[in-house]
Amino acid sequence: MANKASTNVDRYVDTSRKHDIRQANIVAAQAVADAVRTSLGPRGMDKMLALSSGDVIITNDGATILNKMEVMQPAAKMLVELSKSQDIVAGDGTTTVVVIAGALLKQCMMLLNKGVHPTLISEALHKACDKAVEVLTAMAIPLELSDRDALVKSASTSLNSKVVSQYSSLLAPLAVDAVLNVVDPSRPEAIDLRDIKIIKKLGGTVDDTEMIKGLIFDKKASHAAGGPTRVENAKIAVIQFQISPPKTDIEQNVIVSDYSQMDRILREERNYILGMIKKIKATGCNVLLIQKSILRDAVTDLSLHYLAKAKILVVKDVERDDIEFITKTLNCLPIANIEHFREEKLGCADVVEEVPVGSGRIVKITGIKNMGRTTTVLVRGSNQLVLDEADRSLHDALCVVRCLVNKKFLIAGGGAPEVEVSRQLGAWAKTLQGMESYCVKAFAEALEVIPYTLAENAGLNPIAIVTELRNHHANGQANAGINVRKGQITNMLEENVVQPLLVSTSAVSLATECVRMILKIDDIVAVR
Amino acid sequence: MAIQALDIRGERQTGQDVRTQNVMACQALSNIVKTSLGPVGLDKMLVDDIGDVTVTNDGATILKMLEVEHPAAKVLVELAELQDREVGDGTTSVVIVAAELLKRANVLVQNKIHPTSIIGGYRLAMREACKYIEEKLSIKVDKLGKDSLINCAKTSMSSKIIGTDSDFFSKMAVDAVQAVKTVNEKGEVKYPVKAINILKAHGQSARDSYLLNGYALNMGRAAQGMPMRIAPARIACLDVNLQKSKMQMGVQVLVSDPKELDKIRERESDITKERIEKILKAGANVILTSKGIDDMSLKYFVEAGAIAVRRVKKEDLRHVAKATGATPVLTFADMEGGESFDPSFLGSADEVVEERVADDEVIMIKGAKSSRAVSIILRGANDYFLDEMERSLHDALSIVKRTLESNTVVAGGGAVEAALSVYLENLATTLGSREQLAIAEFAEALLIIPRVLAVNAAKDSIELVAKLRAYHHNAQTKADKQHLSGTGLDLVKGTVRNNVEAGVLEPAMSKVKIIQFATEAAITILRIDDMIRLEKEPQNEDD
Repeated sequence: MANKASTNVDRYVDTSRKHDIRQANIVAAQAVADAVRTSLGPRGMDKMLALSSGDVIITNDGATILNKMEVMQPAAKMLVELSKSQDIVAGDGTTTVVVIAGALLKQCMMLLNKGVHPTLISEALHKACDKAVEVLTAMAIPLELSDRDALVKSASTSLNSKVVSQYSSLLAPLAVDAVLNVVDPSRPEAIDLRDIKIIKKLGGTVDDTEMIKGLIFDKKASHAAGGPTRVENAKIAVIQFQISPPKTDIEQNVIVSDYSQMDRILREERNYILGMIKKIKATGCNVLLIQKSILRDAVTDLSLHYLAKAKILVVKDVERDDIEFITKTLNCLPIANIEHFREEKLGCADVVEEVPVGSGRIVKITGIKNMGRTTTVLVRGSNQLVLDEADRSLHDALCVVRCLVNKKFLIAGGGAPEVEVSRQLGAWAKTLQGMESYCVKAFAEALEVIPYTLAENAGLNPIAIVTELRNHHANGQANAGINVRKGQITNMLEENVVQPLLVSTSAVSLATECVRMILKIDDIVAVR
Repeated sequence: MAIQALDIRGERQTGQDVRTQNVMACQALSNIVKTSLGPVGLDKMLVDDIGDVTVTNDGATILKMLEVEHPAAKVLVELAELQDREVGDGTTSVVIVAAELLKRANVLVQNKIHPTSIIGGYRLAMREACKYIEEKLSIKVDKLGKDSLINCAKTSMSSKIIGTDSDFFSKMAVDAVQAVKTVNEKGEVKYPVKAINILKAHGQSARDSYLLNGYALNMGRAAQGMPMRIAPARIACLDVNLQKSKMQMGVQVLVSDPKELDKIRERESDITKERIEKILKAGANVILTSKGIDDMSLKYFVEAGAIAVRRVKKEDLRHVAKATGATPVLTFADMEGGESFDPSFLGSADEVVEERVADDEVIMIKGAKSSRAVSIILRGANDYFLDEMERSLHDALSIVKRTLESNTVVAGGGAVEAALSVYLENLATTLGSREQLAIAEFAEALLIIPRVLAVNAAKDSIELVAKLRAYHHNAQTKADKQHLSGTGLDLVKGTVRNNVEAGVLEPAMSKVKIIQFATEAAITILRIDDMIRLEKEPQNEDD
């Protein structure tokens, strides 16, 4: 495409060229949508991606697929971005948003071929989108955070389409509890998923995934010198300094001119470290978490030896980024210097122990007193592929619950909202005049792609199902959707297939915005 | 731009093509390991790119060495590795079952059955099969007595190179595993197979291998002047360098008087000397260190008549410490800031000897305080033979461990697979949904194990499998024929027999895991309908 742009001189006159560009953009974007289409819904299939690095990913998550696909066409890239932003806003529905965008583009193409001006289409889409969001909001059912069942239902709807769907009965409540655990009741909107830490550990099956009220370190306790691996009534210090011989910033040399000084140096080192450890011990601390340091060793053999003698459990090389999470959980303060080592800065827990998990070992802190609003989830899986996918799926489920906490409305799933919006917009289009009416109608038709694809992926007859669904909706059953398991139309609310309103509204509005953007492009110029 | 609309850096395949291709790749892989299944299976010789030769019968090892490229086939390789990690044996079976499940699923897909229905059916069949094994087919170990452990080990070994000496080795494996039995603070009984040290030494025949109650270190004394044997031994485990001490970085020695130089040099060696004296004073007469000892320091040990061993592997050191009750010492520092060595750090053993095994010296620590560490010394004609012996023994050890932990066994020789197949087939006919076909295929797929066993033994597989199924059908339908549920193949005679009585046993857990893992892997591959392969190097844009 690049050479076309550079050779064409009379591009201001040539309208067919604009048409070409638009056409090419739309085709490319549609191809992207087609690529992820088959992974939509509970019966969607997975994609296997062999990355350039040689790694293999098996996933069902739209955002992940697109992200790894390395799409080159600029318009197609926009769709990739689109699914990313849906991932950020809602965390789920990343496939849905792309599929809707693809269907909208298809309709736009037909309108363009009829000679409708792109800006007109764009305007109309905007209006239609607003109306669609209105309809969706009207359909929604308010929800109380205390209604745990409803939250679990929506989390399992999200999980049902994933590779780990058979574990949804385990993971869905887990996701809900994890999120509810970190919600601050006074400020529910300020929820931060970073307060939920997911730790992946190979081995076992997904069944062994558990939520831990406490902390986990994916490393061994340092017990090279025979230190303890289990401490009860732990007093935990998070330190950001090192227990090793000090180093000055500038180049330094200690000059020895007498043999007796050699002994002194050795003794000094011991005394220096011993002094530190005595200070630590004096505060009653018996568990040390030491931040990773690139400047010098966090602990030396010597200090480990002393720590072991002082019966202090040591976890070294704690990542700097984790310190905030840890201090928040333990409700303690990080200690930057030995001089500031005081008892009130320590956190307390019932048990700190090293436990074998799979082929490795982890350090577990449980029974934390005054625990902060954080949660740790330990994800297990029989191989790396399953493990990664379980992690991604859990993330989606967490996002779904977060959406519900932010915007406390539920909406039916299984294609019900899309068909309802389509029906109402179709009716609304008839009241409009001119091009707008046409475009709104096209928008309405485009939304039917969701139930259509759901049916197709489930091995049902899409046309029969979608028409039946339309019929149900025309008869006023606004919550009728496709029951993929039974292969028929049922009331989705009764089937417990629900999803957050935010996922649907943001999918529609984001997709529309993206399509409008693509429509407005009439030239691609390669700039070097 | 070509017709391919999706413009990505790489190639993309979708739909049936991908599935067929994935299934083919898995099939190819399973065909490679197929012939090594069972007591009469044959071995593979693998030559890697630097010319190293491996002769093996172990599925996991074969697949690991193959360096498979195809992503779907890689899933199978990982599957074998997983089975190896979780159970330790049955790696070949799991791959064969998974590939067969895939093959049959692919045929169903081609017959226009939606993959999700097949997946649902497989999953249901898997659950039912596992339940059936646990409820109906498994036999408690205590019901069969101690022989069952030996029999399990024997079954695992029968397919391996040491199969002919399986009586000998299975006893060894059982003894070894029982010797390392430990109970942790929570009261759980553990059998750490890792605590069994396997040493390989050339020469003599496989039957001259032996189990040593104690720990063997594959190295010699540090100096010739040291005694060959010390009894009773007091052992110090050190992680300290016993060389002339060096100052840390950043310490410079600057002398103005040449006399000082000598003193400093003297002091350097004295620091080490003092340490050695402290150890010897504490009563140690065997010193193991993971670091070095220089020749100057060695003389102190020689004078004291102690054995010192340097450069002991850390792993070995830990095991010795555990076995003898010693505390590994990282540094001599004590809480007062000085240096000392406490006698309580020492471990004890009845005897420490250096022996010559083949060409190597081996330090043996016998009669340790707790016998939680044992060593097996394998003898054999050549490297390949020894390596394969080690792998086979590892499988057998894992099997004994699993049997002890799970306490239930099932009959081997295709008995379980045939029973499950009959059971699932009956189950399938009771279902009226789409899953019926998938379950029937699952049942059929399990028969691959007895079939391959028979084929490998050059027996008439069709006749044998038919007979087997007939027996199991009787066992499941007629109340008075229940004892037939242990019927399996006798591959030497080419008949069917009761394998429980014949002593062909496997831990129930191994079978359950085989079915679970194989199904999971098959489902993972089956769910894929799209494959995107990105190119290794970003190429020049060609549009």
